[in-house]
Amino acid sequence: MISTKSTGADARPPRWRAGAGRVAAGTTLLTAVALLPWLSATDPALTVLRARSADQDPTPAQLAAVREQLGLDEGPFTHLGHWLGGLSRGDAGTSWVSGEPVLPQVTSAFAVSTTLMLGALVVTIAVAALISARTLCLGSRQALPPGRGGTGAAFLAALPKFLLASLLATVFGVWLGWFPSSGWEGPSSMVLPALALGVPSGAMIGGLLDHSLPATFHEPWARTWHAGGFSSGHVARSALRGALAGVLPQLLPTVVALVGGAVAVEKIFNIPGLGRLALEAAIAQDLPPLQTATLALALLGVAAGLLIQAMRHVLLGPALRDGGLTASHLPALRPRRSTRLVAGLCALTLLTLVVAGLLRDPLHVDTAARLLPPSAAHPLGTDALGRDLLARLGHGALRTAGLALGVTTVSIVTGLLLGMAGRVTAGLTEVMSTLPAVLIGLLTTAVTGPSVWGAAGAVCLIGWTPYAAQAAALLEQERASGHILASVSCGAGPTHLLRHHLLPAVLPAVLRNALLRLPTTVLVLASLGFLGLGEQPPTPEWGRLLAENQPYLELAPWTVLGAAGALVLLSVLAMSGTAVGRRKARGATTR
Amino acid sequence: MRPTPLGIVAALALIPVLAGCFVSGTGDPGAPAGSGGRLRVALAVPPVQALSPYSNDATVLSKLSVAEGLTALGEDGAAAPALAKSWSRKDTTTWVFELREAKFHDGTEVTAESVVNALDHAGAAKTKPRVLSDVTLTAKAEDADTVTISTKTADPVLPFRLASPALGIFSAKAYADDGTVSPIGAGTGPFRITNLTGKTKATLDRFEDYWGGKAEASGIDVTWIADGAARANGLRAGEVDIAEWIPTAQAKLLDTDTRHEVPSVRTDSLVLNTAGGVFADASLRAAAREAVDGSALVDSVFGGYADPAQGLFGPAVPWAADKRVEVSGRATAATTDQVKSKTQGTTLRLATYTNRAELPEIATVLQQQLEKAGFTVQQDVREYTQMEADLLAGEYDALVFSRVTLLDTGDAVAYLTSDFSSTGVYNIARVKDSAVDQAITSAAEEGDTAQRQQKIMRAEAEVLRTDAVVPLVHEKVVQGIGADVEGVRLDPRERSLIGLDTRLK
Repeated sequence: MISTKSTGADARPPRWRAGAGRVAAGTTLLTAVALLPWLSATDPALTVLRARSADQDPTPAQLAAVREQLGLDEGPFTHLGHWLGGLSRGDAGTSWVSGEPVLPQVTSAFAVSTTLMLGALVVTIAVAALISARTLCLGSRQALPPGRGGTGAAFLAALPKFLLASLLATVFGVWLGWFPSSGWEGPSSMVLPALALGVPSGAMIGGLLDHSLPATFHEPWARTWHAGGFSSGHVARSALRGALAGVLPQLLPTVVALVGGAVAVEKIFNIPGLGRLALEAAIAQDLPPLQTATLALALLGVAAGLLIQAMRHVLLGPALRDGGLTASHLPALRPRRSTRLVAGLCALTLLTLVVAGLLRDPLHVDTAARLLPPSAAHPLGTDALGRDLLARLGHGALRTAGLALGVTTVSIVTGLLLGMAGRVTAGLTEVMSTLPAVLIGLLTTAVTGPSVWGAAGAVCLIGWTPYAAQAAALLEQERASGHILASVSCGAGPTHLLRHHLLPAVLPAVLRNALLRLPTTVLVLASLGFLGLGEQPPTPEWGRLLAENQPYLELAPWTVLGAAGALVLLSVLAMSGTAVGRRKARGATTR
Repeated sequence: MRPTPLGIVAALALIPVLAGCFVSGTGDPGAPAGSGGRLRVALAVPPVQALSPYSNDATVLSKLSVAEGLTALGEDGAAAPALAKSWSRKDTTTWVFELREAKFHDGTEVTAESVVNALDHAGAAKTKPRVLSDVTLTAKAEDADTVTISTKTADPVLPFRLASPALGIFSAKAYADDGTVSPIGAGTGPFRITNLTGKTKATLDRFEDYWGGKAEASGIDVTWIADGAARANGLRAGEVDIAEWIPTAQAKLLDTDTRHEVPSVRTDSLVLNTAGGVFADASLRAAAREAVDGSALVDSVFGGYADPAQGLFGPAVPWAADKRVEVSGRATAATTDQVKSKTQGTTLRLATYTNRAELPEIATVLQQQLEKAGFTVQQDVREYTQMEADLLAGEYDALVFSRVTLLDTGDAVAYLTSDFSSTGVYNIARVKDSAVDQAITSAAEEGDTAQRQQKIMRAEAEVLRTDAVVPLVHEKVVQGIGADVEGVRLDPRERSLIGLDTRLK
């Protein structure tokens, strides 16, 4: 785990370990995917037949014909062997469903998705810049007010991407006609999907950057430079380098993962991307394209991971190696009154909503009261089946928030443990980061069958990657800072280091990250419902409320407004609430 | 949206780098799509096997008038001449078809040899097309324009069968050695596929040598848009002229002159598992039938785009209403108290699938109706392929099911046989009832059209008597058709869409 050696100046872990970690992670993943049809109780012959022809009768003779045609009786490892053998000759096999060569399909889908991801990256950078601009500007003049909210970032990060996509397609595609409402025919068709994907991602990255900048400005050098008359631009650049190095790894699970993980947005904008290809292949248990897509995503993850690592090293320079970084710790900031006000308001609104909702019946269907706008009888209106939306919101609150918080906690712990394990797990983090949640969901269903806890389990399996990436990066920087060297030379053991230096340095940032990701977790949990994972309908749950009412976005906007608003409230509350709470906790210990 | 301008500027800056990564259609890149009388069509189901007629894609070939069989289905549901100009039944198992003079898209002539070749390939396909599942055809060329087709057993609906899109006739070049079929430039219809780009786009040009004259539209630009809201958006934004299958949730957003409803042969019903669990008891099935009210779904879930169920066959089957047979001999429904005491609180497992957006909503409405009648209901809603094996294995008590009642034969017997006969492969209700079997067999053997229809309706009554299935609604399809398009075919069987006379005004 944490060895004192790795904190020293000569602490570069052998490269082969990181490399071996990547190979092991990739191999495990590919094997798991190759086993999918054999793990799941569902006959691949049936799913392939169904994908080819919806009307086809599943007679034993037909199934036998498919099985023979695909050689399903040869078992998974023969197939994996064939496929790997073909890969070495540049042949990824043929699709079981269409019989066409896989490589051209996957290559073009990969190119489309990567292009879209780059577009989203541009938006992400722009949004992140806007969010952190104020802090950067004031901080470089040492004029930061003694408190920050971060509620704006929380607000934007809580916007569900598919909802944003539907909204943008309707407003800018249909009403205004500025951009194509769907399709993938030129740069103009890239704008709306890139915005839908990039704005929430940018808010997340910006929120993290905005959070780590004050700490950097609080470092002694920044104050010295400021006092010494360095230009604020100079200070800002240097501070940004330090803060960026800690935030950069988040691009992997947040933006690069969109290559395979933007299925909903790809559907809404009819983009022939890798997410849809992988989903279709996974549903039909069409192994050759699924394996090829998984491999492409894993390679992308590793490549992006290495690139980000290299960029961090450039940003931090030799200081990282030589233990010359200064510790950047959060100054004990007093939350602004407005932050407390926001937290209080959010809590009050949510509480009112939940209590009012709990007093009503969330399941009562009244087909005569379909899609009623908000009124005294139904303060938030009704959905397509005439169910009271306030009731559904209220009854879903505890389950939604509880499950999301539980999953997040497990993910944080896993992420911290794996992040601390060092470079060996970097490969696992990179490979898992780019993996679509649906694939993990399918693998989970294959093993556990449909279950209430399946969704939580599946999300726990991948949800840890952002925290592991973040923890690993921050720990690396922390270990390279002078005060750790000092502690070590004073004889501090690993446990002491962990408790008193490393965890306190990492935890606040990871926590903030987790809170920014809370709404995403809610949505991902709900998105696995179609695999039979999670609570079955009609149980109210916020993610389901959003998903089942999305088609009515334009016809009856109030059907999604309540749930989307509640999600934003929850996110802002969590953000501002912890700011207040942390301040209180700090105050208690220092007193 | 403050970052918008920044994002746009940045995206524009990337153009030169990324230009290669977009899906480019073919043809003259300078000419805007839709110009020169070309129709822009958004279809819903992307091709799965590169438009092979032996897959789902077959309907695309008939919707776009690319392929033809020996026969076609007329508007009244009867077999009409297509590549065969006439036919006669020589004896119970042999039919003689006289071909008309026609050309394939590649310029070759349609001959008896080419028809035999096409039918032989369909029969030898590795997974047989559904339409050939219960029959074996032997085709023989008598002379250049006469084909005899014989079947092992008598097949009174052979002319209907041959109208199936899966039995389209393609030129020799379409059939590859590995068993795949590519209809590109090989069909006989008024439109010729010139290019297919993956699962996203296809380009069709008018076929100038079509035997039935020239089509009005000079070509068709097809885009596959799987998402229903995106199809509706495409039509509203003027990006396409025709968008098929607008979801009921989106239909109200279209201008009234662009939405056209067609009664569909699709019936949504509640299928009850008669072999085990709660609904093995006929009186409980009867109680479920009385509890469930499909008409409540019409205005709510379907927003008016459906008809309350009259039986298994709805208004899209034109002869059904006149020939309907009164159902008699049903079990007496259990009262609410009886239901409670008989089920002892056993949970009723109500399944449905997410592939059709309306079904989960129906399930929720039915859950409430069934609970009112004393049942305890637990839903299980998943993607169809995720649960099909469980459905066929009888793991559920009830299923909300959407089913096409006239399958590719255009004949209702195929549906009744596979879904309700004791040997049926799609018998989710697990019906084993000799009276039902008898009624279906007698309909299957009937050669006279009117008599056959009457017997089908008798079989319907027998099926309904068992309460194995409770019809809920007959769906309507909403087709989005631009105000400046005319001549679109509104076909209840969803087999044709664009024809000779479809054009931009």
